[in-house]
Amino acid sequence: MLFLQLLLNGLQVGAIYALTAAGFALIFGATKIFHVAHGTAFTIAGYVFLFAWRAGWPGWAGAAAAVLAAMAFGVAMERYVYRPIQRHEGSFFTVFVAAFGVGIVVQNVIGMIAGRGFATVDTPLSFSAEILPDVFVAPMLWISLATAAVLFIALTVFLTRHPAGVGLRALSQNPDLVRTYGLSSNGLSVLAFAIGSALAAPAAIVTVMTTGLNEAIGHQVMLISIAATIVGGIGSLRGAALAGMMLGIAESLALQFVDTQWAEAVSFLVLFGFIIFRPSGIFGVVQTR
Amino acid sequence: MSPASTDGLKRPGQAQAPAIQALGLTAGFGGRDVLQDVSLTLNDGEILCLIGHNGAGKSTLLRVLFGLHRPSAGTLRVFGEQPGQHSPAAMGAAGVALVPEGRGVFPDLTVEEIFGLALWSAGVPKSGQRERVDEVLDVLPRIKEFRTRRAGTLSGGQQQMVSIGRALLTRPRVLLLDEPSIGLAPKLFQDLIRPIAALRESRGMAILLVEQNVREAFAVSDRVLVMRSGKFIFEGAPSELDDHAKLMELF
Repeated sequence: MLFLQLLLNGLQVGAIYALTAAGFALIFGATKIFHVAHGTAFTIAGYVFLFAWRAGWPGWAGAAAAVLAAMAFGVAMERYVYRPIQRHEGSFFTVFVAAFGVGIVVQNVIGMIAGRGFATVDTPLSFSAEILPDVFVAPMLWISLATAAVLFIALTVFLTRHPAGVGLRALSQNPDLVRTYGLSSNGLSVLAFAIGSALAAPAAIVTVMTTGLNEAIGHQVMLISIAATIVGGIGSLRGAALAGMMLGIAESLALQFVDTQWAEAVSFLVLFGFIIFRPSGIFGVVQTR
Repeated sequence: MSPASTDGLKRPGQAQAPAIQALGLTAGFGGRDVLQDVSLTLNDGEILCLIGHNGAGKSTLLRVLFGLHRPSAGTLRVFGEQPGQHSPAAMGAAGVALVPEGRGVFPDLTVEEIFGLALWSAGVPKSGQRERVDEVLDVLPRIKEFRTRRAGTLSGGQQQMVSIGRALLTRPRVLLLDEPSIGLAPKLFQDLIRPIAALRESRGMAILLVEQNVREAFAVSDRVLVMRSGKFIFEGAPSELDDHAKLMELF
């Protein structure tokens, strides 16, 4: 039964990883910007929800505020950090250090405001009930899985049916040609950051309501997102989501053999395995730029 | 070249203002001027062929005319009006479309997705989209055979057809074509260019055609400009360059 319990826990963690990884992969795929501050959008969304909850806001209002905050952060990063760097033809390392720096600043500001250490909210949704002998599940598990599934389907429909979504796919293939079509590559880039960052918010909210979060959680989220993007195959959104789910389950199942504090390393062992044996990832696509 | 010295073939009903009038355009990259004080007039309903060596500045000129590259000096008017901004969106709104060099399609998108993207970017409402697509399919009927396929799986000629079809969806009054014959057999290029050239008659569309494939391009053109090192060095009727020696001398 321990296996089933860990698998179910893994599904919940996996849903969180899948959503954040899909957001990171969407941004990276469309804009080719290695958005290291993606974890910061997660942290901001989580704390906005936490503060809203503590201020007595209804859950839906807190969730909406969290989504908006994540989107605003992502768009601001694109507009005020990445775009000026790219305009001056800054290198990959400039982008990396700038984004990492923003992450550290936000982490410290949140630490100053909210205090250090784990914070969580109490909700009946995270109270577990015994569904089988020795197997406990909280409603939050089903909510997380349903949210991840619905958002992923919505994202897929958007990218294949809506012209703006098709525009994002076009941007990932040839930004210069996008301009020839009369479209604004800057506008599409902002859209990619808005949607990609918004995807981190539901994952952050689930985290606040279950395990809780601290101001440094963004780094872990970012590392997992990168690992999932590589394992899934760079350029593949469903690959990133599937890999995120897989890493969540792997981390949880590893608890059968190792202590909690080592679980995170399992994701990276999986990543190394892929780098050695299948470097193109699950759905590796050949980039045609 | 004097900007006023361009009279092509005047047609009844031709608008007074030229389709494109560029004065003193200078543009370049990294401090090096690729275009030097270039002036050009493209009359409404005219097909103007622009030829020249690689690196003469032809593609840069088209990119400047479409708002993709900002000139350091000069003015640009489309049908007598100065576009509000020097951007592809503003040029598109003014009725200009560019078919870029190479394959102007996104390899992972289907032909239908590419057309949908073009219609969306041109702000065509859903209700009018069908009519626009049918118009293009009338001009380039072979596109019907591969509408649902990904552009990357199409042949060079088919991709070029899609690229031109995409530009026609915006109902341009000025079409800028950058070396559409690259990689195509001469017969294929003829099949492609003739229906486009015919649009000049039916819709009064002006076409600026950049080409290396001189023989085929001259067959449909009203006037020829030869460019060298960022300047025009010849302007005249295609028949004036029938003499092979003269053409070689200019090149």
